[in-house]
Amino acid sequence: MANKLISEIPLPKSIANVFSARNISTAKDALSLTEFELMELLDVGLTEVRSALSQISEIVAPPYQTALSLMEQRFQNEHLGGHFPTGLKGLDAALCGGIPFGVLTELVGPAGIGKTQFCLKLSLLASLPTNYGGLDGRVIYIDVESKFSSRRLLEIGLRSFPEIFQMKEMAQEMAGRILVLRPTSLAEFTQSLEQIKVLLLQNQVKMLVIDSMAALVSGEHEQGARRQQTLSWHISFIKSLAEFSRIPVVVTNQVRSRNHDDASRYSFQVQSRDGAIETPMQYDSHLVAALGIQWAHAVTTRLVLEAKSGERFIKVAKSPISPPLAFPFHITSSGISLLSDDGKEVMGPEINAIHCQGHNEIINFGMEGLH
Amino acid sequence: MEIWRLPISASQRGKLISSGYTSLSSLSSISSSDLARELKVSESEAMNILKVASHSRGSETSNASCSIVEGAQSAWDMLHDEESLMHITTSSADLDNILGGGIHCKEVTEIGWSSLSLIVNSVLKYKLTTAFSSESIIFMLIGGVPGIGKTQLGIQIAVNVQIPNDFGGLGGKAIYIDTEGSFMVERAFQIAEACIEDMSEYNRFLRKDFQECKIKMLPQDILENIFYFRICSYTEQIALINYLDKFLSEHKDVKVIVVDSVTFHFRQDFDDMALRTRVLSGMALKLMNLAKRFSLAVVLLNQVTTKHTEASFQLALALGDSWSHTCTNRIVLYWNGNERYAYIDKSPSLRSASAAYSVTARGIRNSSSSCKRIKMM
Amino acid sequence: MARLANLETEYPVLDSTVRNFCASHGIFSVEDFLIHDLYMLAAFAEQNDSSERLKEGIAQVLSIIDDMHQPWLNGMELLEDAKRNKHVFPTGIQGIDLLLGDGIHVGQLTELVGPSSSGKTQVCLRTASNVARNHMVLYLDTGNSFSPQRIAYFLGKTISPSSAQAKNQFLQKVMSNISCHSVFDIFAMFDVLHQLESYLRCQDGRGGCQMRLLIVDSISSLISPVLGSSSTLGVINSKLMDTGRALMTSAGYLLKKLAHQHNLAVLIINHTVGGEGGSSKPALGDSWKCIPHSRLFLSCDRGSNTYNVSILRHPSMASGKAARFVI
Repeated sequence: MANKLISEIPLPKSIANVFSARNISTAKDALSLTEFELMELLDVGLTEVRSALSQISEIVAPPYQTALSLMEQRFQNEHLGGHFPTGLKGLDAALCGGIPFGVLTELVGPAGIGKTQFCLKLSLLASLPTNYGGLDGRVIYIDVESKFSSRRLLEIGLRSFPEIFQMKEMAQEMAGRILVLRPTSLAEFTQSLEQIKVLLLQNQVKMLVIDSMAALVSGEHEQGARRQQTLSWHISFIKSLAEFSRIPVVVTNQVRSRNHDDASRYSFQVQSRDGAIETPMQYDSHLVAALGIQWAHAVTTRLVLEAKSGERFIKVAKSPISPPLAFPFHITSSGISLLSDDGKEVMGPEINAIHCQGHNEIINFGMEGLH
Repeated sequence: MEIWRLPISASQRGKLISSGYTSLSSLSSISSSDLARELKVSESEAMNILKVASHSRGSETSNASCSIVEGAQSAWDMLHDEESLMHITTSSADLDNILGGGIHCKEVTEIGWSSLSLIVNSVLKYKLTTAFSSESIIFMLIGGVPGIGKTQLGIQIAVNVQIPNDFGGLGGKAIYIDTEGSFMVERAFQIAEACIEDMSEYNRFLRKDFQECKIKMLPQDILENIFYFRICSYTEQIALINYLDKFLSEHKDVKVIVVDSVTFHFRQDFDDMALRTRVLSGMALKLMNLAKRFSLAVVLLNQVTTKHTEASFQLALALGDSWSHTCTNRIVLYWNGNERYAYIDKSPSLRSASAAYSVTARGIRNSSSSCKRIKMM
Repeated sequence: MARLANLETEYPVLDSTVRNFCASHGIFSVEDFLIHDLYMLAAFAEQNDSSERLKEGIAQVLSIIDDMHQPWLNGMELLEDAKRNKHVFPTGIQGIDLLLGDGIHVGQLTELVGPSSSGKTQVCLRTASNVARNHMVLYLDTGNSFSPQRIAYFLGKTISPSSAQAKNQFLQKVMSNISCHSVFDIFAMFDVLHQLESYLRCQDGRGGCQMRLLIVDSISSLISPVLGSSSTLGVINSKLMDTGRALMTSAGYLLKKLAHQHNLAVLIINHTVGGEGGSSKPALGDSWKCIPHSRLFLSCDRGSNTYNVSILRHPSMASGKAARFVI
């Protein structure tokens, strides 16, 4: 609507002519100027400018929906009430049914913790027919680091849904529904996003997985403000993709170590007003998510995968629905599964900390388990 | 030259000046037909000029009365108006307290927010003295600053504004302007449910007789009264705020506008920073105007970003200095230990104070009372 | 300035002959007369058929001009006026009053500059509540930041504990003296100021409680939308900037005129914006800088809740002096 032509808006003839004479052809052009600038530019009085602006605005402004109609519409049009079950019962309960449609869900954690495993499982689930709890549609899997393994995918399928995957043609069809893209640069990724948009419009794709966003961005050697800018474009594009096609979007994010300096000086606590610094919580780990604050604002649900004293946990670090809960999990040949469906509530900012203790042993163990 | 002060077009102004009309008084006694002849403009145009001029001059007669300027209100009257203003509760008594609410009736405590409140997330004015590479900036912000509960507070306010008058609420409707797509209708439903439960409990508490006063409100009714606008570009945002004028005169019972988040679209696709500043300040003035005219609360949610200064980085509110002037009240949300805190950073009438709050399954609540969180499902 | 055509009823000498002659020289108003070379005009008048009438007319206009300008005042008279009318209003904040001698001066524009939440509005509210005890105050509010509660609080602190009723009466008396008007664009401000001007003209003849303080909180949020930037609009832009500037100067001129002629103290607020290199600078730039008589810079000490004020410019004080205060 922002690029609506002014000539299509029923303004009084005289004013419309002035707008076109001054080369202000779209609503965006007109609304980007202040009233005073328009007065001078169009050479008309304030009252005329105001009435023209209010007419343009009325047409450009999006229509409203009541929250009720929004909810009814979601329940009508969407399978499962707008939540896609992950198959992890405790997590699904906490998230009100699963991963929400239409918004971004982020998985963040150290290397080898199981992010990709989780993604594989989710894409497999989404491709299943609806009577098996799937979305019965295609999945686009953007695999930046070439970690996608179809062998592993089929293995998970065979172990979790033997009745489908034992039939060869079914297994082939399910696996065929997962489209893997391997962009090598951010530019290529941008291009493939455009293609994805077309696919989404045809309404065949039911889920989008990006593994991993951080690898894409950090592959580019751009610094500071420039990097933030490109990132912000991608953020808003992916968000709009998710929103307009109303599909779940899962994005993984890596971690990187934080300097000792930052860790002690930077505790995410506000400096109290009387000058004294609150005793910062000293985290035993020095890991932070690789994409910064702007990204963190953009994701609606953030799941942190971490290892702590030999155990792996999945934590709901940011969610509009769930309280901050932590679930122990492990990775078996049938994929990721929870050890307990009762989440432990985590107090305070600890929920955001990413631990990686005793993690190596688990990885080795896990790898053995796979082969 | 007084003529400069008239809101008329440049060419009309030029004509007036070149034919010698430079003061407002020179336009006071002339007829529109004479003016039209002299300026060589159409009579309707001349009439228009005279109308604008006489409006600007003000009616001299009315000044004999006691008010200095038409439309001005004395502070005494305003004090009374303000005291009779209804408040919107945040559902956290501690939070309400620092926001100037006084009346405590169980959970339903009230605060006044007749003016523009900017609720921002987090670690304001956090200054690092050493030089940072831009890489490290991205990391130091992880840790919960996003996810402190801005959107939750926004939804809570949109629900609480509808608490009926009998329960000390406003019984109004809410407009929710979503620029980021972060509004969760399921969450709004949960909060609405909890809000109704609280009200019926309050009802029992108030009337101890056996008469069961069932609340006739349903969560659906509450959702029905939240007008949700989804904004996809800054142009739409400006347009919507222009259009709200008309929308509000048709929906007079709207008592709160929540914008989540106000600066999202302005942080991208804007090359000319000076223009951005002007457009934003124009928008802020329009919002102020709406708040005043329709006596409603405007709650803006803002994000925290990093700011590059010469040798240091600091966390700052998105959109910087000139924008920070525009809000009347500013509340900063941050972590303190294991608790979420809200701090009043700027307000003409409230003293600086902070209070702990928590985000529960039922919405925003007091920190202490909320220890026992109800686990979902 | 008056148009010649409007003057005929009062001065019959300025009839159509004279006016036509003037018009042929591009003179329509008394103002145009001033910028014309009078000798040339007189010479042209000589050549005209009705030279006598024309000369009479010119002389008449000159005498009108003589009447119109403000009377000449010598230093003694100015001093007299200053002693009689140009008082100093204490702001009620000790730190600022000490710094400025006694407070803000009547007849002058005092500007407060500072970053967001540096106490600018608080100083204004405090000053308003202090002056309103004996005089009327007009508060122009652009940001809904006028807080009657805060004023009541300030007033409540200053009176000794007495009966609730007496206190209420006092509050009512003082607070009725403060009027607040919201303005959201610069043209609305001009409307209000014009109305104020005609009110003040009537007031000067009357006795009773007089309006003595005008506060504009804040002037920069009204003016900055009309100041164009240098890159957006290309060719048209320079014209736009001129108009914006003209409005700004006009606003400054009008405020100063009100202050001087009607013995008002005017207190205005200017914001700061981020300048180059991360430092902040006043929002209204160099061309506004010379308009206010005195300019105070406010800042807030986050830790201790005290505010700093320093003089950037003052007609009778060295700049750079600073003080601290608490509100």
